[in-house]
Amino acid sequence: MSESKLQLLDRPSDATPWSKRSPNFSLIIGLASIFPILLFLVVLNISELSGAGALLTVFLPLQLLAAAIAAIVTRGRRGVADSQLSVFVYFATFFVVIMLGSILVSIASWGLKAVSPHFIYQNNVYITPTTSLDYGGAGHALVGSLLVVGLATLIAVPLGLSVAVYLTETRGRLKGPVRFLAQSMSGLPSIVAGLFVYAVFIATGTANLSGWLGSLALALLMLPTVVRMAEEVLKLVPGDLRSAALALGAPQRRAFFQVIMPTAKAGLITAVLLGVARVVGETAPLILTTRLMSETSFNPFSGDLATLPTFIFSNLTAGFDTGRSRAWAAAFLLLAVVGLIFGATRALTSQKAK
Amino acid sequence: MNTRQVAKGDRAFFAISTAAAIFTMLLVLVVLIFLSVKSWSTFTEQGISFVTGSTWDNTTETGTFQIGPMIVGTIVVSILGLIIAVPASIAVAFFIEFVAPPRLARIATSLVDLLAALPSVVVGIWGIFVLSPVAATWSLSLSNTLSFIPIFRNEFSNAEGAPFIAAWTIAVMIIPIITSVSREVMGRVDKDLISAAIALGSTSFSTMRRIIVPNAKSGILGGILLGLGRALGETVAIFFVLNLVFEINLFQILEPKGGNVASLIIAKFGEATPAELNALMAAGVVLFILTLIVNMIATSIVQRAERRMAS
Repeated sequence: MSESKLQLLDRPSDATPWSKRSPNFSLIIGLASIFPILLFLVVLNISELSGAGALLTVFLPLQLLAAAIAAIVTRGRRGVADSQLSVFVYFATFFVVIMLGSILVSIASWGLKAVSPHFIYQNNVYITPTTSLDYGGAGHALVGSLLVVGLATLIAVPLGLSVAVYLTETRGRLKGPVRFLAQSMSGLPSIVAGLFVYAVFIATGTANLSGWLGSLALALLMLPTVVRMAEEVLKLVPGDLRSAALALGAPQRRAFFQVIMPTAKAGLITAVLLGVARVVGETAPLILTTRLMSETSFNPFSGDLATLPTFIFSNLTAGFDTGRSRAWAAAFLLLAVVGLIFGATRALTSQKAK
Repeated sequence: MNTRQVAKGDRAFFAISTAAAIFTMLLVLVVLIFLSVKSWSTFTEQGISFVTGSTWDNTTETGTFQIGPMIVGTIVVSILGLIIAVPASIAVAFFIEFVAPPRLARIATSLVDLLAALPSVVVGIWGIFVLSPVAATWSLSLSNTLSFIPIFRNEFSNAEGAPFIAAWTIAVMIIPIITSVSREVMGRVDKDLISAAIALGSTSFSTMRRIIVPNAKSGILGGILLGLGRALGETVAIFFVLNLVFEINLFQILEPKGGNVASLIIAKFGEATPAELNALMAAGVVLFILTLIVNMIATSIVQRAERRMAS
């Protein structure tokens, strides 16, 4: 048997696994990132291409090419796919941030231009789409939105919670189908919810256009969100707590109301708030079920009622500059409301995490 | 409190929750049946041409109501929206979950969740005043440079109101939804698997291809279908940016000729004749069935993925 000798491989002179990258490496990466941007800026200045067009036709291919070359130089062929992936990921993320950021920025800038203290509390009586922005506001729409959404919450939350209880606390045989259909309902187009309420109440002559019909439609849209979130929160409550309460002799309903619900309080409130955020800006069902008016009304059960989304909609479709400004301002208010709700849910969930 | 009282109270508690559950379950059916009954006259009078024809005429007594172009338009815009939104959403989800530093990732996650709840009327107002003019220039440069490809041909002088622009609007609305779902399922991929792959010398691209995507596939697909469901039913944002024309337009995505069932309902609802109103409800039924199918598939995919992840 010949003696096979294991030979040590020569250690490459530049092998430094502990240092992340050599200076050369950084230089190449840097060049590969700067070069395409420079060329892109040059092309943008001398040609007629629009910014986005140049970005797509000049910058992206160049950057992909540069990254591929850099990858071959620094890491060999295997690095190419990697470099393409990271260029694509950064580029797409950048693009999405620009798009979505543009929504927030334009709402904030146009909205802040038109919004004023009196815009928040005054109503729209004697105001036409062409009246100057020094008069009138969306206070009536804010009140109406709060009423309609509040009423929808009053309908959807007890119902949704009961369904979540059915899904987590009981041993009902219909759990699977109930969960499935409740989830499928989350894709119910909002306009269909509006049409349904219209068909049931208004087309049959049972009721006239009024706020509570809007609430019914919104409740329909809110229900799936509340069910899903509440179910997930209730599932997180430790089974030991449940068993302990029952072992102490509590009836199940007491165990639920006095032990499980308080434990899951923050999560349940989050579920409700997410449901509210889902419907507060719904426009289509409210166009079908309520009628906009310019006075303030505190009665969602009869008569016309203004809401923020329908206020925005009618100001936009009227097609005057001041009307548009009002629409931007009201959109700003609406976004502020949604933002407030989200801030509240964040605060609640981070509290829970502590 | 004796046991009988306990049992009685609990029975009531369970009865209420069961009743609520059954009510919720039946709600879908009730909506479907009620709208169908209301619009039955349209379905019988118009027959199959209600969904295939392309005439809308309310001047005669019974009227001719056909929504073929609207259905085609809805599907075209939704699919175009998905083509834009899916790669972008997956890239952003990958960025948040695997590239961004934890702090940035947390902020990005909250922001994405907030944007998923962006009211459609807000997107609509941004769509007409900010996006449309910009996207119109993209559209024009496309039709100027690539007009030898049939789908990029534009015989009209203006580009606003085209399915192309509606698709961008839809994409902006569904990117947060798809991102949010994809990010969640990517985050739930077993970290040990990823570490093992990297330890074996896998690059981040091959980790993505061999580990993350196969494991998160069904969840991402479910998210995409949820986005599609939202896109199909989107009303107000599209109403503002799309030009409704009763002419089937499958490929001319840059021309200002589009169709959308939900927007049609909003557009015609105000001054509808009684027969027209029934036809709009029939359109609602068609839309509902379309989205219901998509959502049921989505729900079953997501639920199966969740069960597999849990086990």
